[in-house]
Amino acid sequence: MTNPPADLVITDLHKSFGTHPVLRGVGLEVPAGTFAAVVGQSGSGKTTLLRILAGFERPDRGSVTMGGVPLDDANTHVRAEMRHIGYVSQEGSLFPHLSVEANVAFGLSRRERRGSRVRDLLETVGLSGLGHRFPHQLSGGQQQRVALARALAVQPRLILLDEPFAALDATLRTSVRNDVHAILRHAGTTAILVTHDQDEALSIADLVAVIRDGGIAQVDSPQHLYTHPADVDLAGFIGEANVVEGIARGDRVETPLGLLEVRGGLDAPVGQAMTVLVRPEQVWVFPYEDGPGISGRVVSAGFHGHDSVIGIAIESDAVSQPITSRVLGALALAMGSPVRINVRGPVNAWPKDSEVVTVNDHAVERHG
Amino acid sequence: MASVASAPTTGPRSHPAGSAIVAARRKAPSWILLGISCAVALVLAAPLVFLLLEARGAGAGTVASLIWRPLTKTLLWNTVRLTVVVTLLCAIIGTVAAWFVECTDLPFRRVWAVLVVIPFAIPDFVVSFGWSSLSTWVQGFRGAVLVMTLAVYPLVYLPVAASFRSADPGQEEAARSLGLGRIQTFVRVTLRQAQGAILGGCLLVTLVILAEYGAFEILGYQTFTTEIFTELQVSFSVATACALSLVLVVLGIFVLGGDLLVRGTGRVVRTGAFAQRANRRHALGHARLPVLLAFVALVGLALGVPIGSSIYWMFQGGAASISGVSILSAGWHTAIYSGSTAALATLMALPVALLAVRHDSRAARLLERSTYLVLAMPGLVIALALSYFAERYAGGFGYQTASLLVVAYSILFFPLALVGVRTSVAYAPVGLEEAAQSLGARRLAVFRRVTLPLVGPGLAAAFCLVFLAGLTELTATLVLVPTGVQTLSTQFWAYQQNYSYGQAAPFALVIIAVAAVPSYVIARYFDRLPAHARRST
Repeated sequence: MTNPPADLVITDLHKSFGTHPVLRGVGLEVPAGTFAAVVGQSGSGKTTLLRILAGFERPDRGSVTMGGVPLDDANTHVRAEMRHIGYVSQEGSLFPHLSVEANVAFGLSRRERRGSRVRDLLETVGLSGLGHRFPHQLSGGQQQRVALARALAVQPRLILLDEPFAALDATLRTSVRNDVHAILRHAGTTAILVTHDQDEALSIADLVAVIRDGGIAQVDSPQHLYTHPADVDLAGFIGEANVVEGIARGDRVETPLGLLEVRGGLDAPVGQAMTVLVRPEQVWVFPYEDGPGISGRVVSAGFHGHDSVIGIAIESDAVSQPITSRVLGALALAMGSPVRINVRGPVNAWPKDSEVVTVNDHAVERHG
Repeated sequence: MASVASAPTTGPRSHPAGSAIVAARRKAPSWILLGISCAVALVLAAPLVFLLLEARGAGAGTVASLIWRPLTKTLLWNTVRLTVVVTLLCAIIGTVAAWFVECTDLPFRRVWAVLVVIPFAIPDFVVSFGWSSLSTWVQGFRGAVLVMTLAVYPLVYLPVAASFRSADPGQEEAARSLGLGRIQTFVRVTLRQAQGAILGGCLLVTLVILAEYGAFEILGYQTFTTEIFTELQVSFSVATACALSLVLVVLGIFVLGGDLLVRGTGRVVRTGAFAQRANRRHALGHARLPVLLAFVALVGLALGVPIGSSIYWMFQGGAASISGVSILSAGWHTAIYSGSTAALATLMALPVALLAVRHDSRAARLLERSTYLVLAMPGLVIALALSYFAERYAGGFGYQTASLLVVAYSILFFPLALVGVRTSVAYAPVGLEEAAQSLGARRLAVFRRVTLPLVGPGLAAAFCLVFLAGLTELTATLVLVPTGVQTLSTQFWAYQQNYSYGQAAPFALVIIAVAAVPSYVIARYFDRLPAHARRST
C-alpha cells in the first residue's frame, strides 16, 4: 500500500478546555507535499491544534479535511488509528519495552515486518546497526530519529511533528533538524511542524503559519513572512526588530533614523503617525563622529563569530531604547565610541492606533 | 539570539496563564473513573465511620470515662516509649547499613543487600517467638525493643538504600571542594539527600509498632493493641475496645500529620538527571573487618535466631504429631485469602492510581491523600469496626466469613497496593498509548501491545506485596477468620499460645519459606525501578 501525501484543510476550528478557550477559529490550508510550520508561543494553542489533527482531541466546532475526506466536522470524528496521520512527540514516546527494530515495526503487519522495510528505514534515519538496542540506550537525537522512522514506517499521508527538537541541545538540534527535513523531503510526505522557535520555522518550512491567541495571525512563505509581517507584534516575533515612531511624508516616512523608504509604497495621508519597523541588518554603522547619517554612541556590543550585534543610543527624544544593528563579521568598537548610522533598504510601516502597539516590556526577555 | 532591547514589540503575546493551559489540556477524568475512585475512598473510610458510630452508641460519657483511666496512661506510656526507641534504633541501623552496602567497598555487597532485607518477610510474631522461646531474658520492654528493631529495620533500610543508589555524587563532590571534611560531608550532604527516605521509613516503622499485636502478646508487653484484643476477645467489652481504638487511631493520625509537617520542609533536588555517573565508593580500609563482623552479627540476630530457633524447636519434638494435611489445609486457606485480597486490593488501587497519575488535579490529589488515612488504622481496629458493622447493621451476616476477612484485608493493605500500582501506572504514560494509536493500533491492540507489557510487572509487584502482607497477617485474622478454619498464622498462634513450640515451629518455617518468593519478586522489581524509570521516555 502506498499512501500519496494528502492536502489538509482546516476550517474555523474551536476548542476549549473547561471555560478556557484555546482555539478560536483556526483556519489553515496545507497543500499536499508541503512542509508547513505552525509557530507560536507556549499557550498559543499550537499543541492543541496538532492533537486535534492527530485525532487525540475532538474539536468543539469547525472541520478538518484531508485529501477531500472529512476527518472532523459536526458529524464526523475519525479515530486516531484510522487517520493515517503520523505523530512525533516532543519526547519521541518510544515504547520502552521494545527494541528499536520492534518500535519501528510497531505499526506494520506481520508480513511487512519480515521484509527489509525496517532495515531500510533505520538506514534512512542513519541508525543502521542499532536495531537491537533499547530506547534507554539511545541519545536524545537518536530517539527522535527512531520516532520519525516509526512514524514513517506506516507511510502516513501526513506527519505531525510536535516540537520534536526542543529536548535536544543546540548543536544536535540543528543537525537533527536538517536530517529530518531531508528525510521528509525525500519521502515527499506532507508535514506540519509545531514549534515556538521562529528561527526553526523560518529555516525548515515551505509555509509558516503564526498562531496567536488561538487563531492564525498570518500564513506565508518564510521569506514573505519576514519581509511583509501583518503587524508590528508579529514582526517582532518573527525576527529581531527596531521599532520607532514616524510620520508619513508622501511616499516616505520620517523617523529619528531619517526619511525612510517604505516597502510597497506608503498609502497614508501626510502627517499620519506611523509605527516603523527597521530590521537590525538594515542598520549600517560607520565608526565616524562626523559625516552623513544619524549620530549615536555605542552602548553594547556582542560578537557572534559570523556577525556582531551592536546597540547604539541615539540622541533623540522619540527614541528611548538603543537601536540594534547587525553587521557581518567583527566590528571592533569600544563602548561609548561615537558612530554614525544609516538605514538601508525599504522598511515596514503601519499607521499608528490602527493596530495595538504594545509597550516594550516583554521585548527583552522574549529574545533572550 | 542576542537580546534586542530596542524592540518595543512583543510579537504574539505569550498568554499569562500558559501553565494553566498545559494543565487544562490534560483530559478531564471520566465520571466513571471519578465515581469508582470515590466509592473506593468511601469503602476505605468505612472502618473509621463505624468506629465513631460505635463510640456514639456507647455514649460519649462512657467512652470519655473509659479513656481517662490510669490504664490508658500506662498504655500510652508503653506505646510511645517503645515507638520512639525502636524508631530511632531502626533509623540508625537502617541508614548505616544502607550506607555501607550502597556507598562503600564492603565485601560481598550483593549478598548483604539481599540478606539484610529478608527479615522484612518474616512476620514480627515469628521473630518474637524465635527469641522469647530461647530465653526468658527477652520479654517486656527490652524484649520488645530488641525484637521489633530486628524485625522492622528493613523498612528504613529499603527506601534509604534506594535513595543512596540514585543520589547525585556531584553534591558530595561539591561539598568536598567547598572545604567540608568527610564526616561533615556525610552529615550535611549525604544524610540530607537521604532525609526524605529516612523519614518515610521511620513513619512506616512507627505505624507498624502502633499496629503490632502478636509480638507484644508473646513478649508480655502491654500496649494499646494487646489491651484492645483482650477487652474484645476475653472481656467482650466492645465499648472499652472501641474507646482504646479511638486513642490508637488518633495517635496514628498524629504520626501521619507530623510526617507531613516535617516532610514539607525537606527537598531533595537532583539537577541534570540525565548525566548520571556511577557513585564512587568510599574505601573502608582498616574498618573493613569490624564492619563485616557487624553485618554478620546483624544478619545473625535478625535472621539466624528466628530461623534457627524454629528449626531447633521442630527437631526438639512435637512436630511429628502435626499432620502434613493440617499444614496444607492452613496453607490453602492462607493462599486463598491472601490471593483474593491481593487481587481485590490491586483492583481497588487501580482507579485511584489512574486518577492520581493521569488526571493530576487538586481533587484527585485530595482523594489519593484521603486513602493514606487507612495507614493510621491498625488491622485490629479495622477488624473490630467491620465485625461491629456486620453484627449491628447486617444482622450478623458476613461476620466471620471469608468475604468479610478479604474486605478487611483489602482495606488494611490498600496503601501497599497503591504504592505498587501507582509506579506501574506512571510507567505507561498516555503519550505512549497515543503514539500507538497514531500508528494504526486499535484500542484493544494498544492495551495488549503497549499498556499491559508496561503496567504488568508493576501490577504483579503490587499483587505480591499485598499477598505477602496477607500471608503474615495475624491480628485481624484472629478476629475475623471463619469459625473452624485455620490459616498458617492462626494455627501457629494456637500452638504457640499452648506452648507447643515444636508444633508451632513448622508453621513458622512454612510462612518464612512461602514469604520469601513474593519478597524476592518485589525486591527485583523495585530494585530495577529507579534506573529504568529515569532513562525511559
